[in-house]
Amino acid sequence: MEQLLAVRDDDRSEPELAGAHSHVASCEACQGELDRLHQRTARLRALPTMAPARNHFPAVRTRWQWERNQRRIRMVSGMFTAAAAALLLSLVGRDLMNPPRLDAEQQLQTAIDASQQLEATLHAWDPAQRVVDGRTARLVVVIEDRIAQVDGRLQDAARLEHAERVQRQVELWRERVGLMNALVDVHVTQVSNVDL
Amino acid sequence: MTRVLTMDVLSPTEADAVVARARLGDPVALEALYRTYSTGVYSLARRICRTTEDAEDVLQETFFEVCRSIRTYRGDGSIWGWIRSVASSKALMRLRRNKYRATDELNDELAPARGASTALRMDLEAALDRLSDTARAVVWLHDVEGYTHEEIGTQMGRTASFSKSQLARAHQRLRGWLGDEAVVA
Repeated sequence: MEQLLAVRDDDRSEPELAGAHSHVASCEACQGELDRLHQRTARLRALPTMAPARNHFPAVRTRWQWERNQRRIRMVSGMFTAAAAALLLSLVGRDLMNPPRLDAEQQLQTAIDASQQLEATLHAWDPAQRVVDGRTARLVVVIEDRIAQVDGRLQDAARLEHAERVQRQVELWRERVGLMNALVDVHVTQVSNVDL
Repeated sequence: MTRVLTMDVLSPTEADAVVARARLGDPVALEALYRTYSTGVYSLARRICRTTEDAEDVLQETFFEVCRSIRTYRGDGSIWGWIRSVASSKALMRLRRNKYRATDELNDELAPARGASTALRMDLEAALDRLSDTARAVVWLHDVEGYTHEEIGTQMGRTASFSKSQLARAHQRLRGWLGDEAVVA
């Protein structure tokens, strides 16, 4: 049958099919089969077309439009999300790249607060009522002298112009915080090798 | 040798105009395509699928795909050729999804022995329906729709040889079931 179909379809793609063509041309029985095959094929093609019982397009259109709307919504929401993400990144990213800096006044206040906190800690410790060795006592005197010098410079700085004054005060108060830290260490922990 | 079913409701010029509007998403143009080609699609689907429900599903799936993808139609061939290829693909997909293979084997067993004395004479449609789904699809796509064995093999995920052997087996069976067909000179 495969060879008969090849003859019907004029298929000569394989060498043995050429033999089939010549055989059918000379064989009455095979010609009869070929005729039946042609006839059957013609009958297949003549079978009536069939129409759907109802119009399915409304259902198709509804589904298509729904999908198209969903796609648009996804696209718009995707664009909105991308825009929001870009905006957020530009804001947050800028802060990440350049972390906000405290202005000079805030830095000054922070240093004053830290110094006062250390003063309070030292006061609560009440060093005057404690016995210290001679080495520690000498160290305390050195630190207190340094603090007094800083306080003097702070008074001098008060006479400077605002911008310069604040900047100078910040430096001095930070230095004072460092010295106060050292004083607390010496009193509380009897540290004898404070790094001045 | 092969017949290509043509839809002559729309002239080529009309078809071009309708397709151009359909590509822009015009629902009226898409409905015009449906009205023109739905019978061809349904016929093809009904010949390949076993039930009207499946054929109707294939019809809907086909035109849904047409609505969705008509912008990808480049106009290389006729619009009917493009829609028909979508339809045959959907119909074959439906066959695979329904897993008719088990039923196919059963139907093959029901086939009467060729040359039996009580040759079963039956209507061509009934004989076609008696074929396995794969064989029936191959017969219809090749002998009626005009697809080549290479195209059928590709659509079925098989080879051209598979399509050829399916067609030969199918005709063998049809020959047996239909008995001695009168040869019209």
